[in-house]
Amino acid sequence: MTGAIEIIGLRKAYGKTTALDGLDLSVATGEVHGFLGPNGAGKTTTMRAVFGLTELDAGAVSWDGAPVGPSQRRRFGYMPEERGLYPGMHVGEQVEYLGRLHGLSPAGAAAATRSWLERLGIAQRAGDKVEALSHGNQQRVQLAAALVHDPELVVLDEPLAGLDPAGIDAIGQVLVDQARSGCCVLFSSHQLDLVEELCEMVTIIDHGRLVVSGTVDELATSGARRLVVRVEGNRDGAWARALPGVTVSEASGGELRLVLDPGTDSDLVLQAAMAQGKVTEFSLERRRLSEVFREAVR
Amino acid sequence: MKAIIPVLAIAVAVAIRVVRYRRRHAAAGAERQRRRRSGPGWLGDAGLVAGREVRERLRGKAFRIGTAIILVVVSAAIVIPVVSKGGPGHEPVGVVGTVPASTRQLLQILAKHSGLDVRIVPVQDDVAADEALRSGKIALCITGGQIRLLKAPAASDTSNSAVFVRALAQELGIERAYTDARLTPGQVEQLARAAPVPVVGLQATNKYGIVQGTSVIGVILVFIMLTQYLTWTLTGVMEEKASRVVEVLLATVRPIELLAGKVLGIGLVAMGQAVLVLGFAVALAEGVGSNLLHGTAPLELAAAGLWLLLGYAFWCWVYATAGSMVERQDQVQSLALPLSLPMLVGYITSLTVAGSGNPNLFADVLAYLPPTAPFAMPVLVGLSAVTWWEFVASALISVATTVAVARLASRLYRRAVLRTGKRVSVRELLAGLARS
Repeated sequence: MTGAIEIIGLRKAYGKTTALDGLDLSVATGEVHGFLGPNGAGKTTTMRAVFGLTELDAGAVSWDGAPVGPSQRRRFGYMPEERGLYPGMHVGEQVEYLGRLHGLSPAGAAAATRSWLERLGIAQRAGDKVEALSHGNQQRVQLAAALVHDPELVVLDEPLAGLDPAGIDAIGQVLVDQARSGCCVLFSSHQLDLVEELCEMVTIIDHGRLVVSGTVDELATSGARRLVVRVEGNRDGAWARALPGVTVSEASGGELRLVLDPGTDSDLVLQAAMAQGKVTEFSLERRRLSEVFREAVR
Repeated sequence: MKAIIPVLAIAVAVAIRVVRYRRRHAAAGAERQRRRRSGPGWLGDAGLVAGREVRERLRGKAFRIGTAIILVVVSAAIVIPVVSKGGPGHEPVGVVGTVPASTRQLLQILAKHSGLDVRIVPVQDDVAADEALRSGKIALCITGGQIRLLKAPAASDTSNSAVFVRALAQELGIERAYTDARLTPGQVEQLARAAPVPVVGLQATNKYGIVQGTSVIGVILVFIMLTQYLTWTLTGVMEEKASRVVEVLLATVRPIELLAGKVLGIGLVAMGQAVLVLGFAVALAEGVGSNLLHGTAPLELAAAGLWLLLGYAFWCWVYATAGSMVERQDQVQSLALPLSLPMLVGYITSLTVAGSGNPNLFADVLAYLPPTAPFAMPVLVGLSAVTWWEFVASALISVATTVAVARLASRLYRRAVLRTGKRVSVRELLAGLARS
C-alpha cells in the first residue's frame, strides 16, 4: 500500500503523561481512513501533528515522501475537534477567507465557497453570522472551511459528533465523495457503526501506539470465530458460559454472541444449544468493528 | 519643520532594517519563492489577516460607538474652555459720568491681559447702572469711584473675569490716589504709560509659548486611544484562542504571519481613528478660535500622533502575547495590573508635568523608556524641554526595542496560543522558551 501521508514514530509527552509512544500511521490517496481509539489514546495529538500544531519530541510526518512543511499544509484541510470559526463573522466571508489563506484567488475562493455552501445545503445562510446557526449547520460550515480549497488531504477530528442522522448522512457522503475524487481522508470518531459504514481502512490506537490497522473486511474476518445463537425460551445463555473454549461477548434479547477459542468445535456448541431447546438461529458471524475495537483496546 | 526631522530619521532607520532583513532572507530557498509567486499580495498571509481585521473592526458597533465617544470628549475639551472663557468680556462695561482717556486706555489694557474683549457703554446714573446689571445688559459698571457688579468675585476665584475685576479695582484705586495727590492729568497719564523695567534672563527664552492645555489634552488622548487599541489587540487574540479558530488558521498560516497581520490590521484601524480624531480636534479648535493651537501646540500634537504610533508598535506585541495566554475575561484580571502599571506610571507622571508646566528628572527618564515615552515625550516637546536629537534618540530606542519585543512575542505567542484550558503562566512560557 502506498501511503500519501506517512506518520512515522511520533513521540510526544506532556510532562509525565505519554501522549504518543512511537506511533505509525499511513493513509493512501482515495481512501477514507477511520482513526479510532479510546479517549486519551493520542488521536487528536496525532492529527494536530500533521499540521505542525503539536511540538513533537520525535518522529516525522511526510507527504508523498517529502517532509510536511507550510506549502504542503496549504493543500491540506483540517477540521479540529473543538471546531473553530469566528462566531461574529458571516458564514460566506469566513469560508472565503479560509480559502484565500489556503492560496485561492479572490474569485476562486468566492466560487468555491458558493459551491460548497450549496452542496452542504446552507447556501441561504451565507450572509448570517456563524453564531446564529444551529450546531449542525455550524458543523457544515466547518466542513466547508476544511474543503473549500479542494485539499489533497483532509483530516477531521470527530466530524460526526453531535449531528442528527440527516447531518451524519450528509457529511458522511461528502467524505466518501471526496475520497472517490482522489482525496486522502482521515477522520476520527467514536461512532463505530458509522466508521464501519464509511471507511475502507481503519486504524486503532491506544496509549499512543498503533494497536491494529487494516481494511474493515480484514478486521471483521480476522481473529477468533464468533457465533450468533438463538434458543427458544432461553435468554440468559448460562449454558453457553459453561462450555469450555467459549466466551459470551454479548447476550441481549435472546441473542447470544459467542467467541470461540481456536480449536473449539462449533458442532459441540450446536449440540449444547439443541440440548437447551429449539435453536432458531445459529450462524457464523463477522466481527463488528465495535468488537474489534473492544478487543483491541482491552 | 523640526517635527519632520525625527519622522524622517525613523523612516530611514526602518527602511535600512527592512533592506537588511530582505537581503538576509533573500536566499531562504524555493519554498519562500513559491509562496511569493502564488502569495496573496506583497504582505502574504499577514496582508490577508490584516485585511480581515480591518473589515471586521470597521463593521463592528464597538468601533463606531468608541469613535463617537472620543469625538464627543475631544469636542468638549476644546469647546468648553472657549465658551466658559467668554464671561463678561463680550458684554459691555458701563461707565457713569465722564471717564478720562487714561482710564479708558487702562480698561482696554487690563481686559486684553485677562484675555477679554470689553466695550465701554455710557450709563446715565447709578440707578440705570444697577438696572442694566440686573438685566444683563452690562457685566460691570464703573461709577463714582466704585466698581459695581451683580456678584463680587470671591478672593479665591481665578477666572479671567475675576482677575480682570481685581486688577481694574487696583488700578482705579491707584488712579484715585494720583488724583488725591493733586497730580496734573498730564502727570497721571505719564504715570499710566510707565513702561515696565526690562526682564533679563541668563538663558535663551523659549522660542514658543508654553502650551499646558494642549499638553494635558494630548497626553490624555494618547492614553485613552492607546489603551483602547491595546484592548482591541488583547481581546482580538483572546477571542481567536477562545473560539479555537486559531487552530484552523495556524494549520495553514505561520504564527508570525498571523500575529503580524493581526497587529497590523488593528494598527491600521487605530491610526485611521487617531488621524480622524486629531484632524477633527485641529479643525474644531481652529473653527471655534481655541487657543489650544498656539505656540508649540501643533508640534506637540504632531509628537503625540507619532508617539501614539510608536507606543502602539511597542505595546501591541506585549498585549497580543498576553491575549494568547488567556481565553476568558476572568483570566485577564490577573494580567491587567502588571500590563497597565508601566503605562499608568508614564501617564500620571506626564499628566502632572503637563499640568504644572515644570519638567522633572523622572519625566526626563521616562521619556527615553519605550513603555512610557509615548506619554512623557510629547509633553516635553510641548514644554520645549527637549531638543530634536533627544526626540530622535528616544524614538530610535523605541523602534529598536520594538523589534526585539516583536521577536520574543512571536515565539511566546506560538507556544501559548495553542495551549487551552487554564491560563498559561509567564514563567511556564519563558521556561519552555529556554528549553527550546
